[in-house]
Amino acid sequence: MPEAVRLEHVTKRFTLDRGRPRAFKDAFVSLRGGRARRTETLLALDDVSLSLERGGTMGLVGPNGTGKSTVLKLVARILEPTSGRVTVFGRVAALLELGAGFHPDLTGRENIMLNGSIMGFGRSEMRRRLDAIVDFSELERFIDMPVKHYSSGMYMRLGFAAAVNMDADTLLIDEVLAVGDQSFQNKCRDKILALRRAGATILLVSHDPGAVRDLCRSAVWLENGRALAAGPVDEVLEAYYASVMAREEARFAAQHAAAETAPERTEDRWGSGEVEIVGVDLLGPDGAPRFVVGAAGPLTVRVRYLAHRRVDDPVFGLAIHRDDGLHVNGPNTLDGGLEIPFVEGPGAVHYRVQALPLLAGAYELSASCYDRTCTHPYDHHHRRFPFRVHAGGVRERLGLVHVAARWAHEPGPTATACPDRTAGPAAVGQLAGDTGPAGPDQEPSVAP
Amino acid sequence: MSAGAIPARSGSRGVAAHLGELIAYRHLVANLVLRDLKVRYKGSVLGVIWSLASPLLMMVVFWLVFGYFMPSAVPRFHVFVLVAILPWNWFSIAVSGGLRSIVNNAALINKVYFPRAALPISMVVSEMVNFLLAMPVLFVILYLSGLPPTVHALWLPVIIVVQLLFTLGVVLVLATANVFYRDTGMIMDVLLLAWFFLTPIIYDIAAYRNTVLPILGISAERFMYIVNPMASLVSSYRVVLYGSAEGPPGDPALNFLFRTAATAVVVLAVGLAVFFRASGRFGEEV
Repeated sequence: MPEAVRLEHVTKRFTLDRGRPRAFKDAFVSLRGGRARRTETLLALDDVSLSLERGGTMGLVGPNGTGKSTVLKLVARILEPTSGRVTVFGRVAALLELGAGFHPDLTGRENIMLNGSIMGFGRSEMRRRLDAIVDFSELERFIDMPVKHYSSGMYMRLGFAAAVNMDADTLLIDEVLAVGDQSFQNKCRDKILALRRAGATILLVSHDPGAVRDLCRSAVWLENGRALAAGPVDEVLEAYYASVMAREEARFAAQHAAAETAPERTEDRWGSGEVEIVGVDLLGPDGAPRFVVGAAGPLTVRVRYLAHRRVDDPVFGLAIHRDDGLHVNGPNTLDGGLEIPFVEGPGAVHYRVQALPLLAGAYELSASCYDRTCTHPYDHHHRRFPFRVHAGGVRERLGLVHVAARWAHEPGPTATACPDRTAGPAAVGQLAGDTGPAGPDQEPSVAP
Repeated sequence: MSAGAIPARSGSRGVAAHLGELIAYRHLVANLVLRDLKVRYKGSVLGVIWSLASPLLMMVVFWLVFGYFMPSAVPRFHVFVLVAILPWNWFSIAVSGGLRSIVNNAALINKVYFPRAALPISMVVSEMVNFLLAMPVLFVILYLSGLPPTVHALWLPVIIVVQLLFTLGVVLVLATANVFYRDTGMIMDVLLLAWFFLTPIIYDIAAYRNTVLPILGISAERFMYIVNPMASLVSSYRVVLYGSAEGPPGDPALNFLFRTAATAVVVLAVGLAVFFRASGRFGEEV
């Protein structure tokens, strides 16, 4: 397969502003023997090599400030590498910022022509494209109006239409898929997919794993300027998430520690104190405490308590809120049918979930201990324990929960009976996706 | 520009490769010039008429100032000044605008690749177009002042091309410098004012023909022509359109014009070399 983009041992070092005298004043100061100030540099890319074949689709993932956009700018030739070589075959369209070259006083039509010449097209070539661009932007009525009168959505639409109708061999896309209203977003997405089918090479930077997974066959994980992983998109995303989860673990651990050592009575903690909840742990499948858990994976919540005197018939409760305040659930030992005759001294209650049905997001956990009537609080921690759910293998993204279910397709006239699990695997797909550990019929490994 | 399989390789390229690319993007220069002109007159009632009216109004001012308040010995002094100040204005506006053209278009340079030289070049060319638009008015004024255009005016295209090359060279160097040292713009604003007075625009350089400079042993007139190509250019415009205090319009001295042209070509070559060498770093510096 011929290549479209190749980076060979590319290093990009930025000199930060303070490094070099920017004004003559500074130049004079250093001339007069002032101590030469140390040049501060930022290593944006460190010996990165990658290759993308023609018609290939590659996503760049990684935390902010790790060189993803630098790669795009190098390929777009906006930047030049400090060392190494960037080779690009064919015409490149950079969707880095839509409508970057537009002049507010010119009309939409004039801006399209100007934009075309910025991309190296002549007048006649642009005239041929003009109609397609205007059609795509859905701005026929406004095309002869100065773009300063456009709404920001209209501006972006024109920018996208102008950028994407240039017969580029390679598209560089930097988080610009969120353009205009929902219907136009879908149109953009369809257009990019159509270009992909037509053989365009796509290099995408996005923080939306769904977009990367949908658009790209391969991916590169960049971190601190180095390519940590490259290969098929699922493998790279999985490796990347493992690292994201590890990082978040550390952050949440600090928050939990703060919650546990916080003053005993605050506005988000109350109760008479005969039974004290001294800690709440989320245990993963391996039994180790964690703060980031995978969707559809097993989870055990352990509530550690210390009863300062004997308390009969206590009720332990939990609650999960999404971080925007939506109350997800509120189970307790009474409703759950667990009778605890009494507590005295230290101990723990466990709440075991076989497959956590929450979708990816940030959540908060409350834990409490009440008397048997559930009216008198001994100790109540209200939304004091944040945790995060990661998509893991679950591809579902919309809504709050992931309901374990199966899809089935029955071709032919009216259904007589629902196809069930006895149907062949070709007809039945698991909602959880093919890589996810999920489904009630799969036995999850239960934490000790 | 063809989208063939020729790899676009980043890294330093030769001046020839840069020039070739610039030619491929000639439509961009044309469109940027068009943009400048369109934007300039959008929102003004008289529009392009301003290009024609401004030399006329300028002349009225000179006529009042030098005819009544500060009378000059030079005959038809308002015309004497006008034929020199129009090309000077082209030069000085192009320089102060062109040297900021890279920094002022940072948003574009950061987001799209195109030959960066298109920006300063289009700035110089659009000021030239403005100058050319004023020429018909200048001819009418000359005619009404008793100086009907002569055959010597046919030298104008040559002089204009020489000025274009020289201005381009100066702008390319300064636009590059301004990316790395933002003081360039401020310094040039002052220097252009000094340059204005060091160029024989509102005075007759012939007055210094007999002033011999110490050490150098040449006349002040000669010295000015050597160090200041704008002095040579302005004198050339004046010779072919106005003549001199002593006589009617004539041909510029050939060896004189040739030396100026050679200087302009050298300045342009230096400008291109400096600009192309640095333009790869503009993306991160602006």
